[in-house]
Amino acid sequence: MNIREIAKAAGVSVATVSRVLNHPETVAENTKKKVQRIMEEEEYTPNWFARGLNFANTNTIGLVIPQLVDPVYSEIVKGVEDVATRKGYIIFLCDFANDQTLEKMYFEQLARRRIDGLIAVSTRAESKIFDTVTENNIPIVLVGGSSHDLGFSMVKVNYREAAADATRHLINIGYRKIAMICSDHTDPNSEEKLQGYRLALHEAGILFREEYLKIAEDKMETAYLAAKKLLEIEEPPEAMFVATDNMAIGVMDAVKDKDLKIPEDVAIVGFDNIQISKMVEPRLTTVDIPLHKLGVYGARLLFDLIESDVSEKQQIVLQTKMKIRKSCGHKERIGELF
Amino acid sequence: MKKTNYMGLQLDNPIIVAAGPWSRDGSSILRCFESGAGAVVTESIVSDAILDVRPRIAYNGSGAENIRLYSDVQIEGWEREMEIAKSGGGKVIASVSAHTPSEMAYLTAKLQKFGADAIEISISNPYMESLEVMASDAERVYRVTREVVSNVDIPVAVKLSQNTTNIMEVAKAAKDAGASAVSAINTVRAILGVDLEDRKPVLGTYGGYSGAPIRPLGLASVASIAQSVDIPISGIGGVTNYREALEYIMLGATTVQVGTTMMIEGPQAVRKIVEGVEAWCSHRGIESIDEIRGSALNNLRSFEEMKIEPAISTVGSTRCTDDCSKCMQVCLYDAISKQEGKITVDQKLCTGCGLCTFICPSRKLKLNW
Repeated sequence: MNIREIAKAAGVSVATVSRVLNHPETVAENTKKKVQRIMEEEEYTPNWFARGLNFANTNTIGLVIPQLVDPVYSEIVKGVEDVATRKGYIIFLCDFANDQTLEKMYFEQLARRRIDGLIAVSTRAESKIFDTVTENNIPIVLVGGSSHDLGFSMVKVNYREAAADATRHLINIGYRKIAMICSDHTDPNSEEKLQGYRLALHEAGILFREEYLKIAEDKMETAYLAAKKLLEIEEPPEAMFVATDNMAIGVMDAVKDKDLKIPEDVAIVGFDNIQISKMVEPRLTTVDIPLHKLGVYGARLLFDLIESDVSEKQQIVLQTKMKIRKSCGHKERIGELF
Repeated sequence: MKKTNYMGLQLDNPIIVAAGPWSRDGSSILRCFESGAGAVVTESIVSDAILDVRPRIAYNGSGAENIRLYSDVQIEGWEREMEIAKSGGGKVIASVSAHTPSEMAYLTAKLQKFGADAIEISISNPYMESLEVMASDAERVYRVTREVVSNVDIPVAVKLSQNTTNIMEVAKAAKDAGASAVSAINTVRAILGVDLEDRKPVLGTYGGYSGAPIRPLGLASVASIAQSVDIPISGIGGVTNYREALEYIMLGATTVQVGTTMMIEGPQAVRKIVEGVEAWCSHRGIESIDEIRGSALNNLRSFEEMKIEPAISTVGSTRCTDDCSKCMQVCLYDAISKQEGKITVDQKLCTGCGLCTFICPSRKLKLNW
């Protein structure tokens, strides 16, 4: 039965059935019960919800992420789940802990468990690692970019441009001695972020200085150490662009431990806009990456493939945005105020 | 009824219900159609529904400020809502909002699949975004419109903002990118007022201003686009009655959208506008809106083309005995005086500014030479 037939059977308008589904509190109790009874009898579920309940499928999807404890990935997972549960699917969540052998093992295991689709988040895997998945005709979607051009549907942001924006923000305030604390291979987008930093310096005619670049594992502790080193060099930087908020929090600690003030002595810009960045003191200026939305679109692109809505590869690039807070440039947030 | 072809859609009349909370889902759109509107634009549909803040709409007796944001039905839910919205056979235009070309293209393609008759891309909300809304930048408007147009087969309109230096340039970019129409204007960034005791701005953040006070802005925008870019225009902003709808049409609009008036006065306000347009035209033997569309543009000149006539203010033959001295109060040149109940204009002092002719409650003063 479709919505019109339900309405007819209940002797109400289509609009009333819709209200029962969307805003049941606005419908008279008797009418609501009547409509709900008919929907139950007819096992009616709105068709966009029911679409996935195909009995040939297992109604499961695989979601493989690099690091469960990193809040960046938990927000993406939440986005995927918000769409998947509404579609009647559940998720196999696998944390490969930045270990490619483990990642490959998860892909094989998931394929064996006959998942209906796979979402690989921030993968550095090469095409052949996906072979067991593709051989089983399981659709694949990449979220947050990939190190190799794999030819799958993908949702991502322009990490290079976003990192350039963060650096430009510091340049526009008037800083010239700008260091970058870049993540290592544990962050699959580190290379693009470094390119963005160098691009912004180049545009402004600022020479790239090797001693102003520190590469560290994507962790608070390692970033803390990297920042300390930077502050001990002969001509220390006045501003730092840090590749992830996670690392930036460690950097803030290092600056404070040196008895320096943020932003008066050292300005700091992070990246990602994880929840905690608006709670640390001072509030962290950062680049907002739409993490939840990356997950939401990842799931949408996957269901498009599972439901054979589209067969061709789709690519969505989402917007990033500076979030200017007290750790630098707050008084001059001309472009950001809304 | 005055049938109208808008972007290839055959509408029963040129009055359209604008995007807003009154068109937030299928059943509310069906209610909008009961007003007799030629088409209804959905509330702006976005990727993820955002929780509504409370309160989110303020009104000061003439204008409204809102921070309503977007539809709270997720894109997936619009498959069902669109089916309901279209069950009465009316034309539904899906308003879609997103921040990048690929995201906009994805959402609009979905809405086409769900049955939307056309798309209105909304890239000019003056709240929650920074001041640099997409519609303030012709280049970005081109890119997003291009991407959408190449992904859907239904007509695409672009909703423009007053919040740009040159709205004509943006309209041209939309046309060049393949848009079938532009809508002008979106709400205007505003703060409705400040509570003096609490020291709090109304609604506590910047909002979008709509209603009668923004009509002159909308009229100027529509006229400017009509004079410079060959593209159908949907006029929006502060229409409260049929005469104001006709003003938009005479300045070049193909259709006219009504939002705030419907929110304040209900769907019957839209019906009155639809019927008023019909009656006004019939009374003058006008069979098609096309006969009057843009007819006021010929009388809209650039400043350089304005002719300077030696006109001065004169008083009509009737003596003014009203207990009123408004004309004397406003005269910037001390040219008006009142003797024994009779208004006189000193012809040497009057410079013909014209203000008194608008101020006089009974319109007794005229500019003549």
